[in-house]
Amino acid sequence: MPLVKRNIDPRHLCHTALPRGIKNELECVTNISLANIIRQLSSLSKYAEDIFGELFNEAHSFSFRVNSLQERVDRLSVSVTQLDPKEEELSLQDITMRKAFRSSTIQDQQLFDRKTLPIPLQETYDVCEQPPPLNILTPYRDDGKEGLKFYTNPSYFFDLWKEKMLQDTEDKRKEKRKQKQKNLDRPHEPEKVPRAPHDRRREWQKLAQGPELAEDDANLLHKHIEVANGPASHFETRPQTYVDHMDGSYSLSALPFSQMSELLTRAEERVLVRPHEPPPPPPMHGAGDVKPIPTCISSATGLIENRPQSPATGRTPVFVSPTPPPPPPPLPSALSTSSLRASMTSTPPPPVPPPPPPPATALQAPAVPPPPAPLQIAPGVLHPAPPPIAPPLVQPSPPVARAAPVCETVPVHPLPQGEVQGLPPPPPPPPLPPPGIRPSSPVTVAALAHPPSGLHPTPSTAPGPHAPLMPPSPPSQVIPASEPKRHPSTLPVISDARSVLLEAIRKGIQLRKVEEQREQEAKHERIENDVATILSRRIAVEYSDSEDDSEFDEVDWLE
Amino acid sequence: MAGQEDLVQREIHQDRENREYIEVITSSIKKITDFLNSFDMSCHSRLATLNEKLTALERRIDYIEARVTKGEMLT
Repeated sequence: MPLVKRNIDPRHLCHTALPRGIKNELECVTNISLANIIRQLSSLSKYAEDIFGELFNEAHSFSFRVNSLQERVDRLSVSVTQLDPKEEELSLQDITMRKAFRSSTIQDQQLFDRKTLPIPLQETYDVCEQPPPLNILTPYRDDGKEGLKFYTNPSYFFDLWKEKMLQDTEDKRKEKRKQKQKNLDRPHEPEKVPRAPHDRRREWQKLAQGPELAEDDANLLHKHIEVANGPASHFETRPQTYVDHMDGSYSLSALPFSQMSELLTRAEERVLVRPHEPPPPPPMHGAGDVKPIPTCISSATGLIENRPQSPATGRTPVFVSPTPPPPPPPLPSALSTSSLRASMTSTPPPPVPPPPPPPATALQAPAVPPPPAPLQIAPGVLHPAPPPIAPPLVQPSPPVARAAPVCETVPVHPLPQGEVQGLPPPPPPPPLPPPGIRPSSPVTVAALAHPPSGLHPTPSTAPGPHAPLMPPSPPSQVIPASEPKRHPSTLPVISDARSVLLEAIRKGIQLRKVEEQREQEAKHERIENDVATILSRRIAVEYSDSEDDSEFDEVDWLE
Repeated sequence: MAGQEDLVQREIHQDRENREYIEVITSSIKKITDFLNSFDMSCHSRLATLNEKLTALERRIDYIEARVTKGEMLT
């Protein structure tokens, strides 16, 4: 039987017992029926009033909202017309000191609370029979429970359901833990889990350094492969796989460098400590003839192996393996040059081959004076570019092998760039000198004016930053071998001096982190008995087996 | 006897007419209720769409105001 909201009262018009001694029974019945009809009409009018009243109340509340909205729109239109793009200042305080805009996230819940019962239904309910007043006996109970709860208990459904959900959650969590333990025993099984943190980092990286980087990286990667492999014949096939392999971990290397350095040092320790990690180390040290591609692949597999072993620190190995290959260098350079250089490197085919020489010349000896012909072309191509692209001027030549330390310093010392611009005539030398010159002072940059002499200072100054790293490794493989150590040495300077914006972003991340927790705590206190919360928690367990890891992750990452 | 029969017949006939009348009234009462119900429904749906649009507008205004004004300071 359906529950009727509004009942028209006398239902059976003619079903009545006739009073005795009535002459004309038929007429009596008719009159009674008609009277009942009139009663029906009165009841109908009452319900009509109820219906209209409900509608009116709703519409009335809307009218209030519309009025206030209208006022706000008017005020807003005034204040918008007063906006002045010329006077407006953009302060970084908005990121760190002010709360972010948050739209209201109120959700309707518990729609069938007793308070939402409509009046007509409430009236019907009141007519119904009440349960026996068992609550009178409550004070005489020993367990302090309500007496009526043993007769009828509406909250039973929710209580039971909640208990079941919590139990389910616990079970799932235990199961996951068990599985994880199993996986730890068999570290070779690849896991999909580590994917998530990578992506997050990638996002941050993109936020921090701009979207062009991704393409830039790829470009430089290709180039580097060419350098390592010599012939460009592999270009189509190998690089592709290379990039694919590196993709995930690659983004990691783009982290703010101070943090990276920390991670790197830690990662190195780990590498040393961990015995079951044969693949990654060999390529790094015995890099003599091993080409970068194999190293990457092997390191990637090592990566996968490592993760299960140390779930909490799973991402650190990620850093170890990716760093040996060239990824880091492109990033800093890309920072300053961005897409402009990307387009430049892609447009002229010659610039691609040039990279190989610089590393060799720079590393092997000052005895190799002649800048390769293609290099000359590259600077020539670059020159027409407007002043701001000064850094690219130099970078296209050493980008692959030496770019890392060199370019990082670029943003810190704007001076050299300016001077480089000022010296258009000596295009050939720039390729070589920059590596050494940039880290040093503008004085050495002046040497650029004299191409031949400029070459000599380079090798001598270059060792400065990487002195300990260069000698031990074979020339062709310097990059992979020296990379991990090089970073820590150069990083701190950059992290401090790079920009206020970086600091603002970092602080923003911190704020978000801590505040989230605070918010969640508040939520916990507020609605523990929330159906949606319970449900979401249960579902969350299924997806977040690495919950703890990721948390550690972020904390580490934030220093 | 014939007169009595005639009387009964007449009464029955009258009763028939009365019931027909009652029938008409009750059916129109039903029509009224039908109308009231459907009117209630349609009004509620309209109010719902109005509420929807109003909420969207309010949110948009919230957003635009936030764009124009400075955010709340963190403690």
